Amino acid sequence: MGLCESPALSNNQDATVNGRESESPAKGNMVKPSEEAFFEAALNLVEPNARRAFLEQACAGNADLRARIESLLVAAQEGEVFFKEAERFELPRSLPAAAAVGNGNTELSPDEGLGNRIGNYKLLQKIGEGGCGVVYMAEQEKPVRRRIALKIIKLGMDTKNVIARFEAEQQALAMMDHPNIARVLDAGATETGRPFFVMELVRGVKITQYCDENNLDTCERLELFIQICQAIQHAHQKGIIHRDIKPSNVLVTLHDGRPVPKVIDFGIAKAIETRLTDKTLFTAFEQIIGTPAYMSPEQAEMSGLDIDTRSDIYSLGVLLYELLTSKTPFDPKELLQNGVDEMRRRLREQEPQRPSTMVTTMQGAELVATAKNRHSEPPKLISMLSGDLDWIVMKALEKDRRRRYETANGLAMDIGRYLDNAPVIARPPTRLYLIEKLIRRNKVLFFAGFAVAAALIIGLGTSTRLYFLEKAALEREVVAEAQAEMARANEADLRRLAETREKITQATVLLNDERYEDADELMSAIQITQPTVEGAAVFRTLGEYHAFENQWKEAASRFTTLLEIDRLDGWDVGTLDYLECGPALIESADRENYEKFRQAAVTRFASGKYPFADRIIKISLLLPPNPTLLNNLKPMADGVVKSFATNADTSDDIFLAAWRSVSMALMKYRSGNYVQSADWCERCLGYQDYIAPRTATAHVILAMDNQKLGKTAAAKVELAQARQIIEAKYKVPMDRGTPSQGFWFDWQFAHILLQEASTLIESGGKTVPST
Amino acid sequence: MLQAVRRGERHASEELLPLVYQELRHLAAARMAQEAAGQTLQATALVHEAWLRMVGDNDQGWQNRAHFFGAASEAMRRILVDNARHKARIKHGGGQIRLDISDLELSASTPDEKILLINEALEQLQKDDPEKARIVVMKFFGGMTNQEVGENLGVTERTVERQWAYAKARLFQIIRTQP
Repeated sequence: MGLCESPALSNNQDATVNGRESESPAKGNMVKPSEEAFFEAALNLVEPNARRAFLEQACAGNADLRARIESLLVAAQEGEVFFKEAERFELPRSLPAAAAVGNGNTELSPDEGLGNRIGNYKLLQKIGEGGCGVVYMAEQEKPVRRRIALKIIKLGMDTKNVIARFEAEQQALAMMDHPNIARVLDAGATETGRPFFVMELVRGVKITQYCDENNLDTCERLELFIQICQAIQHAHQKGIIHRDIKPSNVLVTLHDGRPVPKVIDFGIAKAIETRLTDKTLFTAFEQIIGTPAYMSPEQAEMSGLDIDTRSDIYSLGVLLYELLTSKTPFDPKELLQNGVDEMRRRLREQEPQRPSTMVTTMQGAELVATAKNRHSEPPKLISMLSGDLDWIVMKALEKDRRRRYETANGLAMDIGRYLDNAPVIARPPTRLYLIEKLIRRNKVLFFAGFAVAAALIIGLGTSTRLYFLEKAALEREVVAEAQAEMARANEADLRRLAETREKITQATVLLNDERYEDADELMSAIQITQPTVEGAAVFRTLGEYHAFENQWKEAASRFTTLLEIDRLDGWDVGTLDYLECGPALIESADRENYEKFRQAAVTRFASGKYPFADRIIKISLLLPPNPTLLNNLKPMADGVVKSFATNADTSDDIFLAAWRSVSMALMKYRSGNYVQSADWCERCLGYQDYIAPRTATAHVILAMDNQKLGKTAAAKVELAQARQIIEAKYKVPMDRGTPSQGFWFDWQFAHILLQEASTLIESGGKTVPST
Repeated sequence: MLQAVRRGERHASEELLPLVYQELRHLAAARMAQEAAGQTLQATALVHEAWLRMVGDNDQGWQNRAHFFGAASEAMRRILVDNARHKARIKHGGGQIRLDISDLELSASTPDEKILLINEALEQLQKDDPEKARIVVMKFFGGMTNQEVGENLGVTERTVERQWAYAKARLFQIIRTQP
């Protein structure tokens, strides 16, 4: 019996005992527990030798028991696949009416029949079924006679809550007025207790179907898509997130022979979103909530509260992908076949194929058909997709929503740029450079242009005011359920974020038009709490605008904000933004904030392991430092010196090596080591690579070294050389510059040091300036 | 009826069966429309949805849920088995079908055929070891989690996990050795 009770016990018994015991085999009920216990223990021993050893000991002398257990183990292994496959059963398409159980009168919800009336609406014709409900064409009789679409939700939902959620958002929904949005008019409950929604009737077909049936080429598809983005943008401005953008929710109708896309189902996904506290219910429910192929990674996580307008951007990206390639980035069937966790993992981690790659990997016939539907041939289609369109789609599909387009309008504008042959924002790796280049383009009027920008601003202003008026009224009148209240608070937050993003997009448009002051005003009131690439570009451009206008106080303020945005995301590592901020602070005579700035920079990069530590050294020493700061810079300086020992001095990196020499020269000068400082200056000047402001800076530092070392004549020569270069540059208006000519801030840097050197040399001073 | 379940009467769980069965049929029929849109239907989703429809998400009492899920699992079993039999009849041109293991390569059987095989084996297991049979119904047909089954039977999750592993092995043995 001891043998049979527990495998752990049997391990402690010797073989003889085992052998003796097993000669009186327990039968019937007694066998079962031991067999089961041994089986379980053996199953947990995955390693074959361990399992064999265990069985040998546990079943010693009882060949029968061992055979049974081994048979079970084999069955467990082989059965695993069998059960997995069996779980793929299809649920019955039409269920046998002859129920094996049931005692009548259990019919819960008879289908709503045609001709029946629901509220004010008479059902005329079923026009669609799918997603979460059935859609009927229906006739409204009061107050006006018109045809509408009526969608009855089939999900087993708490109707009261669905309607409460809908009503919480109805004020905002009512403010949507856009030719590409089907209005949601009303909501209610059927007699059988199902929620229903009343929408503007759209007689159209799915956008993908329309495009394929009419062989629309890629440009025509893009133009339709831009209209969809504008519709979504409009909704986002009102604080409405669609949450379920997919082809069946974008219908195309013909208006005067021209295709007009209409986005339907606004507000419905939000209203029928289940609020569940019970985790198990949650995990089960997500499987029936939406088509996973269009779902953003954050939606798939189902954290619920964390959905914002950028989830719609992702879904737009999927829709664009499908319009361009006929496929979604992830195959919907494959997504779900290994369960929900695997689906989430893929959405979260797996990079989809680029559109052009997706098309390239298609089978012959499929590829030809895809190209033909786009009025094209395979090679042409592939070359059209690769490049800009790949980048645009992939930016919309970024896993990290901070890296997606900020707004639907931003996405539309980038497509507009593509259609205008202008460089697109999405294109890496010189992302920042391109954004700036784009903003600086004088003549290019991309499709949105001024009219759109103006309309956006006016629209936003009005709608915001209306929104607050409505909201105030609402709050006076309605004592809402706690749940609806929470939904509203959440929406208000989302609206604020959406507005911030919207303003950033507007500012981008304004800057493109060189309307710097308007953009500056627009940005003056916003508070950025989330990382934003476009926001950083806007603040950088504004800072530079002020710098060029000699408005240093404003410039410093914009650059300070820029650094804050950078830090939200860790993008300040290796960016040039520190180099912009430092001179601006000094020029605005804001010593206090310059001290704070350089303290923060040194603390941030103290480990010296960052690739551009030399920039931090340089920018922190533009004014004489206190000893502590100087000391804290030492690890960075050591890192820079080390870089010369390895590869920094080789020919392909002369550009960087020369810059590092300047930083080291300044480091040594500030440390009082003038001989070494002069060596670094000579080293910089010795490189076969001329960049005017860098060369001028080296001459300035060398001049100061010479002065300190008592070589006053040499000091004057160096100073004169530096002055000549720098003053020539300042005779013409400053522009941004390029890496090979030097940037404006490189010049500013040289300019500030020149003033220090002039004072030192012309006063004949020989002492280190006091801090 | 549901009131009775809420009061925790044990037999109410059995009486609930026809009701749940009807509800599941409705839901399954409604779900079918979605399949074309890339959805995979899952029993577990249906059962949870039926719970929501019939009881609502306000009722968090686990005892009620346990009753309900027990009943729903059994209902789901009947639906799936009836459906599989129905399809098998159509496929074989009517008449009573008895699946014969000898002419059926296990790995090549359809999910429907597998369901019938599992169901037959389950009937046998029910005689030998009714408790494990209940676990199979809840785990396999009801798609319940170990935690849910554990609550229903008043045992730990770990126990459910072990017994489910054993039951699966037993079932597969029975399936393979069936005459």
